[in-house]
Amino acid sequence: MDFSFNETQKEVQGLARQMLTDLATVERLNAIDKQEDRFDADLWKQLAEAGLLGVAIDEKLGGMGFGFTELALFVEEVGRTVAPVPVVPVLVSTALPIQKFGSATLKKAWLPKIASGESLVTAALMETGNEDPATPKATAKAKGKNLLVSGTKVCVPFAKQSDAILVSAKTSKGVVVVLVDPKAKGVKLTRQVSTTREPWYEVVMKDVLVPEAAIVVKADKGAAAMKWVSERTMAALCAMQIGVSDKSMRMTASYACERQQFGVAIGTFQAVQHRAANCYMDVECLKLTTYQAVSLLDSGRDATNEVAIAKIWAGDTGHRVSYAAQHLHGGFGIDRDYSLWRYSLWARQIEMTLGTSARLLATLGERIAAGKAFAE
Amino acid sequence: MKLEFTPEQEALRKELRAYFKKLMTPELVDEVSQTPGEGGGPLFWKAMRQLGKDGWIGVGWPKELGGRGMSEMEQFIFVEEVMRAGFPFPFLTTESVGPILAANAAPRLKKLLVPKILGGEIIIAIGYSEPGAGTDLASLKTTARKEGNEWVINGQKMWTSLAHHADWLWVAARTNPDPEVKKHKGISMFLVPATAKGYSLSPVHTLGDVRTNATYYDNVRVPEDHLVGEVDGGWKMITSQLNRERLSLVNVGSFAQLFNNVTKWAKDTKLADGTRVIDQPWVQINLAKARTGLEALKLICYRQAWSMTVGELSMQDASAAKVYGTEFFVELYRLLGEVLGQSSVLHMDSKGAVLRGRLEMLYRTASIITFGGGTNEIQRDIIAMAGLWMPRAKR
Repeated sequence: MDFSFNETQKEVQGLARQMLTDLATVERLNAIDKQEDRFDADLWKQLAEAGLLGVAIDEKLGGMGFGFTELALFVEEVGRTVAPVPVVPVLVSTALPIQKFGSATLKKAWLPKIASGESLVTAALMETGNEDPATPKATAKAKGKNLLVSGTKVCVPFAKQSDAILVSAKTSKGVVVVLVDPKAKGVKLTRQVSTTREPWYEVVMKDVLVPEAAIVVKADKGAAAMKWVSERTMAALCAMQIGVSDKSMRMTASYACERQQFGVAIGTFQAVQHRAANCYMDVECLKLTTYQAVSLLDSGRDATNEVAIAKIWAGDTGHRVSYAAQHLHGGFGIDRDYSLWRYSLWARQIEMTLGTSARLLATLGERIAAGKAFAE
Repeated sequence: MKLEFTPEQEALRKELRAYFKKLMTPELVDEVSQTPGEGGGPLFWKAMRQLGKDGWIGVGWPKELGGRGMSEMEQFIFVEEVMRAGFPFPFLTTESVGPILAANAAPRLKKLLVPKILGGEIIIAIGYSEPGAGTDLASLKTTARKEGNEWVINGQKMWTSLAHHADWLWVAARTNPDPEVKKHKGISMFLVPATAKGYSLSPVHTLGDVRTNATYYDNVRVPEDHLVGEVDGGWKMITSQLNRERLSLVNVGSFAQLFNNVTKWAKDTKLADGTRVIDQPWVQINLAKARTGLEALKLICYRQAWSMTVGELSMQDASAAKVYGTEFFVELYRLLGEVLGQSSVLHMDSKGAVLRGRLEMLYRTASIITFGGGTNEIQRDIIAMAGLWMPRAKR
């Protein structure tokens, strides 16, 4: 049991925090919000130059060659600054499975370009009425050695800006995982507007030709691979929620020390202090359960229960901390010239993405009933 | 960062689980069930000495003090397993007062008491609270004055738990009556043997059937080396002891076992319509909520144990563990009680009692933990001040 970060982890965390604090300033975020897409292309390039986009990509493929823990710490820092960069869809949901399951050719084709920032890629994990990408409704049928993929995916981040979309589809032999070119014939993208204004798309695919070389995982192992992707994406969202909620809480504590009412700082009121203290405990629980999930995933151990538990905490902590922060800030919390509002939107989006607390409690309950979640 | 046990720690957990399966004979279980959380019977003391003889009580203590020289983490693992086994281990003596005493007591007393603590031979009760000093502990009025080479102690303590089984008392007394001196800077710690002349006690019976005590000190005389640490230097020992106590109070072991027992009961029990209790969606949700809260508590505890190993136990984290843990227990008893339904209010002596009536007893005792060991309001003040740098509240 070791709760400390090692030197590498501290360096990644320090570098990410420094760069994001310096570059994702409130002025910069305001400017990006005026663009059509909430994406800071310059910042993405700078993160690539610093090596951070390749933090978990093999050294031979242009990355730094560290593990999932280092990547999660980077994602946490993005949450802390709500920087407009798609670290989770690109680096976690897509680059990691290409690296883990893809052929040597596929890895060489994509990972160096992802690490250098030249290419964006994304993953389509959601369908309407189905939030489990391991059991897709989309279908794939063989056409010689190639596949024809049909179906509709929703809430796909950065689909239009990406050069490839990781898609799971069912075949008669099981689930396949493929890379779909968003510009391919038969793909129709429609913009969706998410609460954070992160660019999302509905992706409708009709007999889209996927060449054999773009198959990431074959039908016998696709469902397990998508569970692998799902768990890492959930854990990364939890890490981002740590950054979002920790920063909201600390902004609130600072604000309460400055803001004077009745001639004293409102932070001297016990009612205010206690609401902040509740946030502190929530953030601690989120941190610990998330780091446990990340650590187990990084060791390649089963973490089904631990990931679900972390995501329940991410939902609950995100919800409670963001409303406490908004409330204690009073009007400042909703003023778009002050940056707290962005944190609230991100907290909500993460809470509702890839498993809400209610659904995950039901899943965990089923596992308890099945004897798969004893309190060891 | 690696939030997994090492193979050695996993092996230790297994060894302890097997050990306690043997130790907890049906007779011992019966005896300790009569006085929940308290122990004190002949089989309890026999088992305590066995734990001492087998080298478990001091598993994480340094070898020169008679321990096995492992870390605080192994010590925590031991306590988790002893609690999981349902043995009423006197953790305040061994985990909380013990290490502070070992670090600060005069050589003669250290030599006398540490082997007895690690041997499972004594219980030390804590004398802090008074009729007029609870949360505001520094306002305590019990006094100790030096006469020749003795200290003379006078006053009354409240809620001196386990005093009726205790061999020694760990007593905080005012040694500096000067009103100009800050009140927490005039307090010293003393070790008082329960056999001392002038010492007496009377029982206080509580809602949870747990007996506690009022203790009285009427010109109690102890030799000068019964002072622990420096004169007027007691406050730091009190706060470190309380930080350690806060971790022990919320040890995850017994609660994990309670969760597993209720889960097993829900699997083994059928409703009138023939479906199992555990097949009900609301039961699964309650158990999932309990499990989610327990997981966080477990990690809070392990992180605290790890912090003690590397010497970084912070006051905000000790307070956060205490508040989260105690408020979660109240919630846990409710979530699990709801699963048992009507049976959850059957007393352990009743016909039809479920799981030895443990949940019926626990919800009655749970009301003590949110204020005992430092009330949660003050813990939240500490979190806000030390964890979030908010201003110290004026009182």
